Amino acid sequence: MNASTVTRQPASGRPVLLRWAPLLLLLAFAFALPLVVRSATYLHILILLLLYAYLTTSWNLVGGFAGVLPLGHAAFVGIGAYTSTVLSLQYGLSPWIGMILGGMISTIVGVLIGLPTFKMRGAYFALATIAFAEGLRVMVENLDRLGPFRLNGPRGLQIPPLEVGFGRLMFAEKEPYYYIILTMLVLAVGITWAVSRSKLGYCLAAGGEEPEAAQSLGINVARLKLIAMAISSFLTSLAGTFWAQFTLYIHPKSVMSLDISFEIAFIALIGGRGSIAGPLLGALLLRPVSDFSRIHFGDTLPGLHLVIFGVVLILVMLYQPRGLQEPLTRLYRRGMQRLFGTGEGG
Amino acid sequence: MRLLELHRVSKHFGGIRAVEDFSLEVQAGEIVGLIGPNGAGKSTLFNCVAGVFPPTSGEIVFQGKRIEGRKPWELCRLGIARTFQIVKPFASRTVLYNVTVGAFATTSRLAEAERRALAVLRTLHMEEKAHVRAANLTIADRKRLEIARALATRPRLLLLDEVMAGLRPTEVDEMVEVIRRLRDSGITFFVIEHIMRAVMALSDRIAVLHFGHKIAEGLPAEVARDDRVIKAYLGEDYGAA
Repeated sequence: MNASTVTRQPASGRPVLLRWAPLLLLLAFAFALPLVVRSATYLHILILLLLYAYLTTSWNLVGGFAGVLPLGHAAFVGIGAYTSTVLSLQYGLSPWIGMILGGMISTIVGVLIGLPTFKMRGAYFALATIAFAEGLRVMVENLDRLGPFRLNGPRGLQIPPLEVGFGRLMFAEKEPYYYIILTMLVLAVGITWAVSRSKLGYCLAAGGEEPEAAQSLGINVARLKLIAMAISSFLTSLAGTFWAQFTLYIHPKSVMSLDISFEIAFIALIGGRGSIAGPLLGALLLRPVSDFSRIHFGDTLPGLHLVIFGVVLILVMLYQPRGLQEPLTRLYRRGMQRLFGTGEGG
Repeated sequence: MRLLELHRVSKHFGGIRAVEDFSLEVQAGEIVGLIGPNGAGKSTLFNCVAGVFPPTSGEIVFQGKRIEGRKPWELCRLGIARTFQIVKPFASRTVLYNVTVGAFATTSRLAEAERRALAVLRTLHMEEKAHVRAANLTIADRKRLEIARALATRPRLLLLDEVMAGLRPTEVDEMVEVIRRLRDSGITFFVIEHIMRAVMALSDRIAVLHFGHKIAEGLPAEVARDDRVIKAYLGEDYGAA
């Protein structure tokens, strides 16, 4: 976002349609992809790619804009997954409703975590969020039931594929899942775009960079961070329900593990946190590494993808501390300029 | 009309008495200078007024309302803006972005905020730097950016903490001119400044702080003649300058 919205200048003479054309093309491409990709394996990989792009975009609202590094977003994925699954298994509630309820619970939990932790800075905040997410996972692992709700501890919950259909958020093929997560991603990106061009976005970024200066300019930094956290935890939680309905089996390790939180942060940092394109680029580059290393080295070198992520992260932080979106955005701008010859200098 | 009143304000940090029993009135439309040697407690006093921390004792009254202990963002909304001695730009952002953040204090619409930010930048002759990243500015421009950002919040009272330090003499003259013009447009100034030439030329009144105590207050010429001030602070140097 740094370069893309800040130096926004009127694109004199360039028709609006042309400005949005590359984006629309990309969108059309994404929607047409399942028509070409017929292999279930590849579609599965693409769905996970979109899921992580969505998760990271949601994370980015607080981790990117507010300038803090939350490493416990898996907790919200877990809350979303468990809420909708428990409610649909025990009470036959549609996962769509469970999805929204889970989102609301996550929002409350996110704000409750944020209240004490947003006063901490840097690594302390990150550690506190890890501690919270891990605590929640261990709790769920050790709880067979929570009040009237069956959680099944470490064995997790199986969703029997009895009723397929949109209302049950359950499908026999992978295509519907692809379109649902793609729509969710488009919405999340749209929200991010709107936030980045709003008072909230400006003030969040200011508070993340120089809290004292931001406060002197009338910004209640802690309050805005809580708002960002609320939106972010809500959106993250929706992905949890999606994940549960996609895999039809959840257990604490699969939907609440630290690996998820870390992978989100890796994607954001390598792609470029605080930018709109960063999470998308990051997921596009890192998810395939993750999947193919699991397919080919899952037995011999499990966790290889995290090693690769680490190396890539070090290189990116050394040479492109704002993430890969920056050089790519510049390249894109230059390309557009050459093609259309209009001054949109960045 | 009294805009800002300080009544016996003290600030202690543990055993250190940074400011002791400081009283002062600032009238609307005035430029009041605050001078004193390094470590005299000037910035501490500013931080009390700006809400960074509450005074240990004493009252601070702004437009008839007690404000001590209020948070910086509340004070900004009441009409008190400030600059920082050690500048704190949003370095990764452009100048326009920085000032727009300030303008958002009084509007919620991006287009309106940017319009106001550009107007402020024009007043400070910075409009051609609008799209430069704050990290790439010279120190003089960073100081000016601090003022621009504070101005964009549309304050009634502006606290300037050493905005002239590091500027070349011609830039100092420009800054004095800018501040005078802003005063004429209705903004009241409370100014910490080390550059004597500037603070003497600029201020309607000057208060002198020494080891946390106010040792003098008056017209610039009076203060400059005051024996205690000369002894405590100006030394022989001022005669030469």
